[in-house]
Amino acid sequence: MDPLYIITNYGPRFLDGLLMTLQLTGLGALMAGLLSPFLALARTSAPVAAQWPLRLYISFIRGTPLLVQLFLVYYGSGQFRPLLQDWGLWNFFRDPFNCALFTFVVNSTAYQTEILRGGLMGVDNREIEAARAVGMSRFRILQRVSFPHAYRIAWPALGNEVILLMKASALASVVTVFDLMGRTRQVFSRTFDFSSYLWAALIYLFITVVFVFLWRQAELYMTRHIRAGNTVTQGKQHHG
Amino acid sequence: MRELFAFGETGWGDELLAGLAVTLQLGVAALLLGLLIGFAVAWASLSRHLVLRCAGFAYSTIMRGLPELLTLFVVYNGIGLLINKLSAFVSPDSASPEFSPFAAGVLALGMVFGAFSSEVLRGAFNSLDPGQSEAGKAVGMNTRQVFMRIKLPQAWRFALPGLGNLWINLLKDTALVSIIALNDLMRMTKVAVGATKQPFTFYLAAALIYWALCVLSEFGLDRLEKRANRGIVNR
Amino acid sequence: MVDNDTVLKAEAIYKSFGALEVLKGVDITARKQDVISILGASGSGKSTLLRCLNFLEPPTSGKVYLHGKEISMGKGGKPDQKQIEHLRSHLGMVFQQFNLWSHRTVLENVMEGPVIVKGESKAVARQRAEVLLDRVGLAERKSMYPSQLSGGQQQRVAIARALAMEPDAILFDEPTSALDPELVAEVLKTMKSLAEEGRTMIVVTHEMSFARDVSTHVIFMHEGKILEQGTPAEMFSNPRTEPFQRFIADVS
Repeated sequence: MDPLYIITNYGPRFLDGLLMTLQLTGLGALMAGLLSPFLALARTSAPVAAQWPLRLYISFIRGTPLLVQLFLVYYGSGQFRPLLQDWGLWNFFRDPFNCALFTFVVNSTAYQTEILRGGLMGVDNREIEAARAVGMSRFRILQRVSFPHAYRIAWPALGNEVILLMKASALASVVTVFDLMGRTRQVFSRTFDFSSYLWAALIYLFITVVFVFLWRQAELYMTRHIRAGNTVTQGKQHHG
Repeated sequence: MRELFAFGETGWGDELLAGLAVTLQLGVAALLLGLLIGFAVAWASLSRHLVLRCAGFAYSTIMRGLPELLTLFVVYNGIGLLINKLSAFVSPDSASPEFSPFAAGVLALGMVFGAFSSEVLRGAFNSLDPGQSEAGKAVGMNTRQVFMRIKLPQAWRFALPGLGNLWINLLKDTALVSIIALNDLMRMTKVAVGATKQPFTFYLAAALIYWALCVLSEFGLDRLEKRANRGIVNR
Repeated sequence: MVDNDTVLKAEAIYKSFGALEVLKGVDITARKQDVISILGASGSGKSTLLRCLNFLEPPTSGKVYLHGKEISMGKGGKPDQKQIEHLRSHLGMVFQQFNLWSHRTVLENVMEGPVIVKGESKAVARQRAEVLLDRVGLAERKSMYPSQLSGGQQQRVAIARALAMEPDAILFDEPTSALDPELVAEVLKTMKSLAEEGRTMIVVTHEMSFARDVSTHVIFMHEGKILEQGTPAEMFSNPRTEPFQRFIADVS
């Protein structure tokens, strides 16, 4: 059996699946990334009594399988079909891609919120006091001091979350989305050629490696002020 | 609503409960296998031999980078094909034996748990104070006694929080096995949905059961950690 | 030549870490009831010598005898693990950082060796442990964990732990160096009482008072060799070599 047979004959399908996986992951992570700062802020500074719906939501998402969440949205919406039709939302929930993306956003928002909350709590209080002392407004402090620091602290953990989401996006194939996993299952069921799974594994690993590299580059860029400080001290030691 | 979840002929309570039992069996079996793999891989990664170290590193990196669903299919279909070929080779006339979804689930989830737990265990063994083992050697303990009496109980303390998180992930990942037709909680829920046409109700029920399992696990882990950390004073 | 009184003897001990030669041929003999103080600046190899005696650092070459019996080398020049374990179970060791097992109570720390290594019954081990803890003045702390004790208390437990094995000799590796100054005395007092009851001890130390007043024999090490040795009276009243003179001047 020619190990290249699968990729030469079904290459375009794999590429198609790869693009779908990237689209699901990228859009999911990005939309969750837009929502999470607001929720993280609520989680750190809203009154405790007002936080319980948020905590319940995060605990539920973290305590249940993503597959159940996906089925709850994709199949569960069918139970409310008349209602959703009245609201004009039925067309949205009928589409498996929309359901998968919606589930991933809801799921990843919970995780990103927790990560970012950790980042916000890690910000040095003295820097916030310094910002107050120069007369910055609360909004300015968040924008100029708290969040930039929080993202720097949370960056590696956020990267891990994106990789987890990328791996989890393979579940979309279960509700008939043709992502990389879906295409792979399709190819395997036609050829019964085991190497189709190995190709998929290679592609997933490749995405992870490239992503880790890019994320790390972004981190280096974001923390350049810290490294600049280090080079100065190193230089001193050199001459001293 | 109450009839839906009743036990016996009319309701789906007993079916869900049976599924829950399978889910728990699967989780515990995969945990045990995964810990074995995790210890072996951690041991390899900490070995003096370069080849073993590379093998350990490769295993944990690759397994952690693959979607769990893909690992499950690779194991289920891969070993299924292998058994078919072997049985055709050994006795071409008889039908080939089935590779059970349960075994595939235990193996795949155990392999994943093994990869992640090897990292946790490696870190735990790395952070041990060498003086503790030296004191054991100094009273004449052999290598096995030093490991069992000193290294293992102390590493356990460091590893417990990480292993606890992995257990909760494992519990959730068991739901994947329903896709290869194992009658776990998720699968039984699907059956109930097919019969009752009430997908939201039943998937929500399944979600609540998983949620309860996770919250219970967290509670239990908290107690285990307190026990493991006795004698440690926070200063 | 080994007489019946010789407990521990080491001959021509060499030890290198990579290209760095730390011990350059050291001989040392401990007879029954000897209290040997090993002095020397840091880096002189004194701690390494002590750790070579029970093979926590296996010597690069040289011989170690327990009661005149050599710890023989197995295949490939490596010493036999079984014999090393036997040697260690006859030599107590007290560490600079105490190294009490943090996951076990004080009592369990003292019982562990006799039960696990010697296979003693728990009842017998417990009884002896309680006597020993009483002796170091910590009987009422037996259920505590090491982290709940002061450094001086921990070191006294560590001494009880070494005694519990009923060793033929005890090795002390700078037992008071990690202690706050006000806690040093209680440990030295315990060590002195051990010396008075005739225990064989080899002590790497910076405590001049202990070397002068308690020990029967003093060894001064310099750059991996023994430069001077003798009774404390001879050594301190008449230091012969320049490095030892400087050492005495520095510490007093």
